[in-house]
Amino acid sequence: MITKSTLIFICILFGSTQALSEEDTYVHFEQANLVQGRVIWIDSCEGCHAYGIAESPNPLKAKDWQDRVVKPIDILYDHAINGFFGPEDTMMPPRGGNDSLSDNEVKLAVDYMKALAEYYINKEDN
Amino acid sequence: MKEEKKMNLAIVTIATCLSIGAGIAIAKDAGTTPSITPKAMADALHLVMDSDRAVYTKRIVNRLVKKEKVIKASEHFEDDKALVLPAQMFRFGAEMVAKRAEEKPDVNFSYSLQSLWPINKQNAPKTDVEKEGLKFVAENKGQNYYATEELGGTEYFTAVYADTAVAPVCVSCHNDHKDTPKRDFKMGDVMGGVVIRIPISG
Ligand code: HEC
Repeated sequence: MITKSTLIFICILFGSTQALSEEDTYVHFEQANLVQGRVIWIDSCEGCHAYGIAESPNPLKAKDWQDRVVKPIDILYDHAINGFFGPEDTMMPPRGGNDSLSDNEVKLAVDYMKALAEYYINKEDN
Repeated sequence: MKEEKKMNLAIVTIATCLSIGAGIAIAKDAGTTPSITPKAMADALHLVMDSDRAVYTKRIVNRLVKKEKVIKASEHFEDDKALVLPAQMFRFGAEMVAKRAEEKPDVNFSYSLQSLWPINKQNAPKTDVEKEGLKFVAENKGQNYYATEELGGTEYFTAVYADTAVAPVCVSCHNDHKDTPKRDFKMGDVMGGVVIRIPISG
């Protein structure tokens, strides 16, 4: 019989090997817009997008973003600012649900998420 | 010659009956012999309940409330003649399962939606495992919590799955509710968890 403490131990062990640090996973890029964008993205977008919550596309997974990075950037900005429904009625809420973000801040977050997605797509290709 | 044919037919018939019989015996066995781990069982149950609610959220609430704007969803759905919120849909399902399971002695699992910050105190965790599990899933996003616990002389396998804010209405309703103990939820935050409990010893 597996005891409670063994199970908890397994959970912790699994957690420690699985969770890469935020620093490594959420790549730092040098461009000024991406430095700002990273902070906004972690604060307001990561909670859904990095885990696929509500079926949001995860920029760490190449297949989630392959068809999106090629969309014109203005469409991605518009979808992030005004909200967007996917073909199966999935919902990207306007400004990711954070009404206090300005249009410009949302755009910076989109820039960062797109750059992160491109980074992971290239990584998979190599 | 005729006799021989009859004999053959009889043998074939008996053999067929025996093998069908054996088949039934095996099938019967599969229904009573434990062949699925409690963890796989809990994961499967969670997958079904979570997918059903996600479909309700997308295909009904998102589409009719947010996209087409033809009806509202409200906590006070009767007074407001509105759709029930996805969290209420989930809770009503859990209550109905509990009621129907009373008449099925071999179906004795339970599930509930709980939170460390419940609007309704009734939905706060009660056992130590529930408390630990809800804390674990809130602090380790993307992971589930599994443990065993003994309650009233029975050993249970208990699984806890994170429940996350997926729409602005989850956040605004919880942050603004007069009875809420927490007012700074953000989108994508873990707000609570689904607790599934399966007895593993009599
Ligand atoms: C509630 C969770 C949630 C949060 C928080 C969230 N998103 Fe999204 N987002 C989604 C979902 C779901 C989709 C996918 C919709 C679809 O295409 O099916 C999406 C899609 C997108 C897309 C792709 C749109 C397209 O045209 O393909 C962009 C860009 C985006 N989000 C930006 C953001 C930004 C920027 C933030 C933070 C300010 C953010 N999101 C926060 C859920 C979220």
